[in-house]
Amino acid sequence: MTDPTRLDPMVSRREFVAGVSALGAVWLMACSREQAAVAESASMPSMPAESSAPPQTLVHFSSEQGVEIEAMASRIIPSDDGPGAREAGALYFIDRTLTSLAKDQVPLFAQGLEALSTAVVKRHGAGQRFSTLTAEQQDAALKTIEQTPFFGAMRFATIAGFLALPKYGGNKDYIGWKYIGQEHTFEQKPPFGWYDLPANQQALLGRVL
Amino acid sequence: MRRQEQPTGKTFATNAEVDFVVIGSGIAGGSVARELTAKGFDVLVLEQGRHVPPSDMEHDEIGAFISNRWTNTPEQSPQMYRKTADAKAEQRHFLQYARVVGGTTLHFTGNFWRFRPIDFNEFSQRGAVPGTAVADWPITYEELEPYYTAVEYAMGISGETPTDPREPMRSKPFPLPPLNVTGPGVLLEVGAKKLGWNSKAAPMAILSREYKGRQPCHNCGFCLAFPCEWGAKSGSNWTMIPDALRSGRCEVRSESYVHRIETDDTGRVTGVLYFDKDKKEQRQKAKAVVLSANGAETPRLLLMSTSNRFPDGLANSSGLVGKHLMFNGNVVADGLFEHAVHGHKGPVVTRITQEHYIPDPSLNFFGGGGIDMRFDVPAMIKTLSMPTDGPEWGAAWKARAREWFTHSASAYGHTTTLPVATNSVTLDPELKDAWGMPAIRTTYKEHEHDMRLFKFFQDRCKELLSAAGAKKVYASPFGDAPGSAVHLLGTARMGNDPKASVADKYHRAHDVKNLFIVDGSSFVTSGRGQPTMTIQALAFRAADHIAQFATRLEI
Repeated sequence: MTDPTRLDPMVSRREFVAGVSALGAVWLMACSREQAAVAESASMPSMPAESSAPPQTLVHFSSEQGVEIEAMASRIIPSDDGPGAREAGALYFIDRTLTSLAKDQVPLFAQGLEALSTAVVKRHGAGQRFSTLTAEQQDAALKTIEQTPFFGAMRFATIAGFLALPKYGGNKDYIGWKYIGQEHTFEQKPPFGWYDLPANQQALLGRVL
Repeated sequence: MRRQEQPTGKTFATNAEVDFVVIGSGIAGGSVARELTAKGFDVLVLEQGRHVPPSDMEHDEIGAFISNRWTNTPEQSPQMYRKTADAKAEQRHFLQYARVVGGTTLHFTGNFWRFRPIDFNEFSQRGAVPGTAVADWPITYEELEPYYTAVEYAMGISGETPTDPREPMRSKPFPLPPLNVTGPGVLLEVGAKKLGWNSKAAPMAILSREYKGRQPCHNCGFCLAFPCEWGAKSGSNWTMIPDALRSGRCEVRSESYVHRIETDDTGRVTGVLYFDKDKKEQRQKAKAVVLSANGAETPRLLLMSTSNRFPDGLANSSGLVGKHLMFNGNVVADGLFEHAVHGHKGPVVTRITQEHYIPDPSLNFFGGGGIDMRFDVPAMIKTLSMPTDGPEWGAAWKARAREWFTHSASAYGHTTTLPVATNSVTLDPELKDAWGMPAIRTTYKEHEHDMRLFKFFQDRCKELLSAAGAKKVYASPFGDAPGSAVHLLGTARMGNDPKASVADKYHRAHDVKNLFIVDGSSFVTSGRGQPTMTIQALAFRAADHIAQFATRLEI
């Protein structure tokens, strides 16, 4: 695959659903030992319980890099009509996966950040960083790298950091789940949506419930 | 909250000769163990993977879809893939199966369709298909029917008595009523009604009511690709294995990877060699072995078990071990709807249509299938795999993602694929796994009939979504060898002719009197989409016959 981070999403999901981790295979070509470690550390109780405290420190990025990564993530999933990547702590997810599941992407992120920083200085002048630009300027800067593997990896990791289980470092207090409509619960009571409301089932199918 | 407790079993010494070693703890191995122990035999189940306790059953999308938490991994069990025998093989994680106690039923969807009579004798009804080894099964629907029923009652299958006169005879009603219909289920019914198609409550291996001390489904929504922390999804780990252990005659030895079935000079199986959890080699003696390791690992183990007497692999005088690899076709179309579907709550599938179970022969393809409507995966994967016809990031993406998550549903077509001799599982001549054993090399390419069938079913999926009122319909690409494959079938087919099959109609290897092969590899043809129910019914039937042979000292 020429570009491991820009997947055909429909193909990917079909593959997952077929039971699969095709996406994993390309996203995180990583090392079995780390994966085993993740699996091992997963023996925490699965029923609703207080999750471990969300991370507040970086283990891979420097604090300067962290500021830039968070600024990028905040444009990918902005905090507009509800919490975004910043509130979900997607930065900490990205930071942690680069030391484990996505270890092989360390050079991609390092080079991507470097190239972005150079481009920002060239366009906006010395002393400017991506994080110091206005939102409009940031979006314009991201537009220019939209098709790069680095942006693809950033986008993927930001979404995953918004929605993966909090134990991976992001989705703080299930904030991403709450926004999208995914509940953190082991029990749901019907009716679930509009179509299975008894009155609508009756109207649509002519059956009395 | 009441939770299921896992019973403990007994422990056998490795130097003791047990009655049966069963290799694999999935739906086939678990069922054989349950049935043989119930008839008074001692059974040792050897399972490659680990035991998954309820405390380990998290709603973890990274684990389920990315880091192979439940499945075979490319790091420990690398594989090679090539499309045709003359192509250069490449390393690719192609065949997927769970590697845990309970096998793939630990995290399956729970679709539990019976086959119909035509699935056993389509060759006689339709004739040969060039380039394939289509054949009748050595058994009929009527022979298997009592075992289908036994399985439904052992598992607590939810469903409704069919109203479609095209459906075959059932000797008893379902033990449990259907699952509560969800949004996607209602949409399936709406679409089918509009099109004049029959639809019905899906037969599901998920409890709709408490059954045999197990809790019913609590609609958590993390179902396909996730283990069930409630024990409501009737995987082997929650049903067959605990029943076998409770008998007091069974041990399930997990993290025990059998790499060789041993035979003596007379050609009888004497036991197995396996790697324990520390990768230390152990030998277990047995009077007989039942091989239920799945459609990939079963042929691999036979091919690895060569000897002077069996130079081409154990039970392989026909040369067919590993050949005729089949999957089930899986075509998908997605629809975006006006109102909230909220399909992420509740079971994945609650209603299906089998209107096109036997399509018109003039369409010129073998087989058929069925369609369900579902919401397939949770939030992370769902939004990462959205249609690409809109903004891919930023505020507009965010709004689009939320709409896609709450307002979409997918129609899934499940179909036949054909047995082609060149589609196969063999041992790679070079690549080894983490234990130093030969890696799987798969050769696989769809037959032209398969591609026509997939197209037909995807068109029906699109039609169903539109009829259900979808504002937009998206079709996913299909065919040309899936990115990876599940439902691993046909690689040690059963049959009456020792030259044209690996095992007989009682699952006994033609070449080895005390070796039985019972799993998806036993299939002669692939059926129409959902194999698990039939694998399990075969296992119940096999165990019944194996017990009779053992009682009559005919093993």
